[in-house]
Amino acid sequence: MSNNFQLTISQLSLRYLGFENLALENISAQSRGKRIGIIGPSHAGKSSLLALLAGIAGKMIPAKFSGSVRINGEELEAWRSQHEIALLLQDPASQLSGLADTVYDELAFSLLNQGKSDEEIESAVKRAADQLDLTNLLDQSPNQLSGGQTQRVAIATALVTEPDLLLLDDPTSQMDPLGRQHFFSWLEKLSCPFLLISNELDDLADLCDQIWVLKDGRLLMADSPQEIFRQLDDPAIDKPVAWKMAKKLKLKLDGRYPVNAHELKEAAENAN
Amino acid sequence: MDSKEISSKNKASFWSFKLSAHAMTLIPAAVGINYVAKAFAEGLKLPVWLGSLGTFLASMLAGPVAGAISGFINNVIYGLTLSPVSTVYALTSIGIGLAVAWLNQRGFFKRPVTVLPAAILIALVSALISTPLNVIFWSGQTGIAWGDALFASLVAKHVNIWIASFLDEFVLDLLDKTVVAYLAFLIYKQLPKRLVYFFKGTEE
Amino acid sequence: MRNNAEDLALPAWQAAIDPISKLLLILLFTLAAFTAGNLPSAIIVLAASFILALLTKNLHALWGMCAFSLFLILTMLLIQGLFWPGNHTAAFSVASLTFCQEGLDHAALLACRILTIIFSSSFFIQTTTISENARYLENSGLSYQQVYVLMSVCYILPQMQENLRKIQLAQKARGIAPAKSLLSRIKNLFPVLLPLIVKSFQQAMNRSIALQLRGYANPKRRAASLKQEYWKDKFCHRLLIANCLVLLGVKACLIIFN
Repeated sequence: MSNNFQLTISQLSLRYLGFENLALENISAQSRGKRIGIIGPSHAGKSSLLALLAGIAGKMIPAKFSGSVRINGEELEAWRSQHEIALLLQDPASQLSGLADTVYDELAFSLLNQGKSDEEIESAVKRAADQLDLTNLLDQSPNQLSGGQTQRVAIATALVTEPDLLLLDDPTSQMDPLGRQHFFSWLEKLSCPFLLISNELDDLADLCDQIWVLKDGRLLMADSPQEIFRQLDDPAIDKPVAWKMAKKLKLKLDGRYPVNAHELKEAAENAN
Repeated sequence: MDSKEISSKNKASFWSFKLSAHAMTLIPAAVGINYVAKAFAEGLKLPVWLGSLGTFLASMLAGPVAGAISGFINNVIYGLTLSPVSTVYALTSIGIGLAVAWLNQRGFFKRPVTVLPAAILIALVSALISTPLNVIFWSGQTGIAWGDALFASLVAKHVNIWIASFLDEFVLDLLDKTVVAYLAFLIYKQLPKRLVYFFKGTEE
Repeated sequence: MRNNAEDLALPAWQAAIDPISKLLLILLFTLAAFTAGNLPSAIIVLAASFILALLTKNLHALWGMCAFSLFLILTMLLIQGLFWPGNHTAAFSVASLTFCQEGLDHAALLACRILTIIFSSSFFIQTTTISENARYLENSGLSYQQVYVLMSVCYILPQMQENLRKIQLAQKARGIAPAKSLLSRIKNLFPVLLPLIVKSFQQAMNRSIALQLRGYANPKRRAASLKQEYWKDKFCHRLLIANCLVLLGVKACLIIFN
């Protein structure tokens, strides 16, 4: 897993076959840092962007694209052939193979596909299960899990192969608040680069090095969370709770409103 | 701007035996739909089976091989879980899958008025394949009350057992396949475009 | 095939027979039943298959499978006893109806064959599980894709049943009145069936994408290790196939020389 990560997108447009509208229109952006959050209203093209990076749009779903995508200087295709990208779909139940007896078998599936031995599989599965609190669910059937548990198993299937890049499409949609909290604190400890689509703006503002804002297939902004929420003024796109609270309480930090809990606390302390 | 057209790697020729990655998950879904449609028909006490709806849709979406395999697996699994004799009728289901795909390719499922002749043809195919099976296993009967009543009355009048069995089967198939054909036609029209394109794997 | 959630607890000898051999047994019994040209020999084959089914000690499931075909067998006896073309010897009369021996014998022969298939299938069904079959098939040389297409259906059906149940409950809650005429019953079907079908296909689409992403078609893939050791599986396959071929030969001779 490399610690350097540089994603450069240049004039990227994507159109699915059979549709007239562009799913992505003329997107140009350069990543900063390893953790990128992607926000925007529905039909903004967020999932399509991840689909393109993972190789779905184009290879599995018929599509045409133009422009260039490079990771660490290499063309996307070339980089993908040498590295492992894991994508978490929006619907966690479909992420699972549908032919696994137990959660253990489900997690082992990706590793069997790589030809790993039983011992390697055992240690990788135990590690992934540990990270996501799944150890006591390993013997259960995947069909008998709750929505939140299924989502955690789906995430574990993406993690178990130790990917070089992790793409997550709304990974906490079915979790309760406590589960979400656990997830984001675990995500903070993750060392591999990731692109994360989520509506949990406060967590994104806390965690991500950079946030990309998409709307109607176009990239509105790509900047640090602080800058994004300072400049962004689109009614279709929400702001973090911390920002809204700070605005109500008229608490500013370095001439702008705080975007996460830490900054809010700091701003409050400065005000006193 | 250079345009990179990436065609779906999963497009195989219409009659190719190579199963695409898309058909791999379509087939079990189609079998599930067969099962659910059948459960519905039984629950609503309809005089039809509806148990080939999924096969029809699989054929229309992904071609004859996917449709035929859906039908085949439907009967084999049904046979290995509930009613072992159903397994032989896999031949009928294969025939239906192939017939639907062939007719769909010729545009029979594009307008409501052409669905009826398609349904009649499919019923014919189904009856032609099922009749020998019915004769070998059930001495010509089909197991459906009013069909077998027709069969009994024909045999009582000394009609040849093969003809009686064929009529028994054909009359039942005609009603069933007509309902299924129209249901499949209506449902196919309502399927989201993205789904249809995904399973078809068309190139522009 | 049983669901793995249920503990099988099989006697060692039943567990040691591999799934393909159990399937070949069904084929063998079926061919034997069809080779048996008369009622007494068919009954012998039936008895043998019945003993095999009894060994699974699950009479309840066995009865369930037979009950399905029982109605048809009874009507067959009725119709063939009365109307079979080869009838000429009266067996007994009920009211004004005369049942003939030849027809009854013919129907009984067919019934024996059907029950033989059911009993021999029951052995396979009661003593194997879905995942064991999937593992064994892949270890025997089928590709993961082929195994998936064959076996994943077994997991999908319970899920579909669940989806169906939820939709039916929602319908009941909305107070959809049971319709009278055939046409209106079919009309009621559509708004329930359509969302279910769309959802199933969407899940199939996502699942296909996920499987491809997870690399199911990777040439490096190896089959999951077997959890069970089988007794001389290749030898059993050859033995059973040889016996099947012998029976086919016998049947061919019987047809030619009769």
